[in-house]
Amino acid sequence: MTILTRASPQTLRLLALGLALLATILFFATQIEGYLSPRMFNRISTSAAVVLPVAVGQAIVIMTRNIDLSTGSILGVVAYMAGQLLNTMPDLHPVLAVLFCMALGAGLGLLNGLLIAWGRVPSIIVTLGTLALFRSFLVEWSDAKTITTASLPQWLVDLPSANAFSLGGLDIRVTVVLALAAVLVTGLALTFWRPARRFYAVGSNPDAAVMAGINAPRVVFTAFILSGAFAGLSGFLFLAKFGNITVVAGLGYELKSIAAVVVGGVSIMGGSGSMIGVLMGALLVDTIDNSLTRWAVVSEFWRDALLGGLIMAAVTVDTLASRQLARLRKGGAG
Amino acid sequence: MTQPVLELIGLSKSFAATQALKDMSLTILPGEVHAIVGENGAGKSTLIKIMTGVHQPDTGTIRVEGQSVTLRSTQGAQEAGIAAIYQEPMVFPDLNVAENIFISNRAKGRIMRWSEIYAEAESLIAPLGVKLDVRRAASGLTLAEQQTVEIARALSLKVKVLIMDEPTASLSAHEVARLLDIARALKAQGVAVIYISHRLDEIFRIADRVTVIRDGQHISTKPVAEVTEDGLVKDMVGRALESFAVKTAANPHGETLLSVKDLSRAGVFQNITFDLHKGEVLCLAGLVGARRTDVALSLFGIAPATDGSITLAGQQVRIATPQQAMDLGIAYVSEDRRKLGLAMPLPIFANISLASLKKLLNPFGLIDRAAESAMAETYRKRLAIRSPDSLIEVGKLSGGNQQKVMLAKWLETKPRVLIFDEPTRGIDVGAKAEVHAIIRQLASEGVAILVISSDLPEVLALADRVLVMREGRQVGILPIEEATQERVIALAAGQATSERPAA
Repeated sequence: MTILTRASPQTLRLLALGLALLATILFFATQIEGYLSPRMFNRISTSAAVVLPVAVGQAIVIMTRNIDLSTGSILGVVAYMAGQLLNTMPDLHPVLAVLFCMALGAGLGLLNGLLIAWGRVPSIIVTLGTLALFRSFLVEWSDAKTITTASLPQWLVDLPSANAFSLGGLDIRVTVVLALAAVLVTGLALTFWRPARRFYAVGSNPDAAVMAGINAPRVVFTAFILSGAFAGLSGFLFLAKFGNITVVAGLGYELKSIAAVVVGGVSIMGGSGSMIGVLMGALLVDTIDNSLTRWAVVSEFWRDALLGGLIMAAVTVDTLASRQLARLRKGGAG
Repeated sequence: MTQPVLELIGLSKSFAATQALKDMSLTILPGEVHAIVGENGAGKSTLIKIMTGVHQPDTGTIRVEGQSVTLRSTQGAQEAGIAAIYQEPMVFPDLNVAENIFISNRAKGRIMRWSEIYAEAESLIAPLGVKLDVRRAASGLTLAEQQTVEIARALSLKVKVLIMDEPTASLSAHEVARLLDIARALKAQGVAVIYISHRLDEIFRIADRVTVIRDGQHISTKPVAEVTEDGLVKDMVGRALESFAVKTAANPHGETLLSVKDLSRAGVFQNITFDLHKGEVLCLAGLVGARRTDVALSLFGIAPATDGSITLAGQQVRIATPQQAMDLGIAYVSEDRRKLGLAMPLPIFANISLASLKKLLNPFGLIDRAAESAMAETYRKRLAIRSPDSLIEVGKLSGGNQQKVMLAKWLETKPRVLIFDEPTRGIDVGAKAEVHAIIRQLASEGVAILVISSDLPEVLALADRVLVMREGRQVGILPIEEATQERVIALAAGQATSERPAA
């Protein structure tokens, strides 16, 4: 009881998330043969690495009491155009290639940001529009041609299997390190960098933010640019992981990123959330996703339904738990 | 003559067809407490918004320490040394107290040094005489605590001019005294305090000079020593107002309508016992934190009591939801208009009909619009809600008029028991007198009325009996003949030597 009333709600949420992750892994270990293997670890970690940057950007947007539904389409556009670029300029420096992806994503996010922050159109409407718009643009631009692994420079093809280091028999891939770096840098900034604290402020009480002299539209605008840039980074990782890019690249990543963010304890009402939560949320979502594909009991078509169910369950449990906790505390105080 | 810290010269501002300010001029000196008074709609809010950079004037000049400035945003105003504390405190519920204080403090650099921030926040809060954990999230703070956070925030900005907009509206006597002390301390440091309040007694306690505005125009600025309360009121309303805190004769009480016995809510309040008669006004007095609102919420079924009994018209009842309370004829006019009382974006008529839509259904089960607007019109005229028609968004009305809309909504439910929580919080003398008159009128019509108020003159003007609470306990019930300001405060603050047993 004391731990329930004394620890912060955020800490409790992470604790619960950790337990859920552990329970999921243990459950699938009993269901799938050879589940607890370095191979499975690789599969899940590299898959989560693609989602993580989008989720980081999505988390920032949701903290400001907005939502970005266009991230999957941005990811697709970036992955495709980066593939084209590297086909025509195979000697482009890898760092420049990553920067290109993030800049292109940021540019697309800028369009969202302009309409939402200064056009005053609700983000759900704007990004629903650009979700379709960016995807249609990709279809038009690609002329239904596919980017294939053969057309990509060798360093990119090799990247997904490149190892950064090994840890107790588990290989940590370079792409995983890249995604974790995005989480770490953002997490540190959100905690210690004053301008980044404004994302929380604007989401927590938009009126008070204006009164406190915070330029709320600019903060929201920045959130959408960052979301675009992070979706761009995911676009790069997607390109590296899959190599073959069609017009449906990144389809559904907006749902996956929202799931990771919400499961990770970022309040859909804005104002709170942490990067460690997002990391755990993305891991949980991807663990379930990847494990289900290997679990014969559930058909592939149910995976999306489970994802949706997970989002609803996370929000429901969170709401019920925090209400119960508040009651507990009040009782304890009096 | 000392250099004025702030000069407003010939400011005008229009919103569409309404001229909110006409040729307004005002001079603020360093180290003075300058009170601004005026009725609702006199233009005070617009004036504050111009001084804090929220609105820009159509014409006119603003000078800070002799320099002409353009205040484009609140941030710009803060940089020029002007900040404000508002009637409705503006805090960030998800951020902790310390961060709330330093949120807009640009001098702090770009890196958050958390331990430093906590230490500085504590050193800002401590002199205010409030116990507040600077590491806790601001959600769940009381209004008084939120205000403390806001004051500390303004102090951290080292402002030259601090505007206090109705700062005491939600405070009780104890906190008011502390706030006035803070204002004096600021004054001693050379900070100019612009003090806006409807409570004239505070103005006489704190202000050096007082400016009256009416209909967007400057009426007078005088040293406070040269004005009287009656003179101020006359200037404010433009006519002499017959005594605005009339003490009406106690109503001849009818039969007991509501009988509450040993009502408790675990950990919140204990053993509240009283009888409320038809046509009686019972006031709940006490300091902020005395849990008076919690008693009201339990009677209205929002936070039900865990123990004790409620008897209504001889029948023992259980009230677990607001719907049950409403069915029993209990209405609750909330203190927090914004959160619990009104649907701000909806027009007046929709707010008034909200609690009684069932009555308005036509044979097809649809809302009879004509009847709805007729209902709204009746109340608009009866309660003198100041708006051209009932189609105006409630959010655009002044506080006093919002209060009347909320009251209209509950009156339409034809309540037997009407609970008012701070009915005149943040509304001006004119509207206050009207609300008081309405409350007395309702009582004379046989409604049993429970009023929670932190404004003691109001309690004494309205009540037939006064129930005093302290820290969740009932410490006495005084008939109005025995209730004096001193006695009520003594009971509420726990200084009474001989407490009357709870009647």
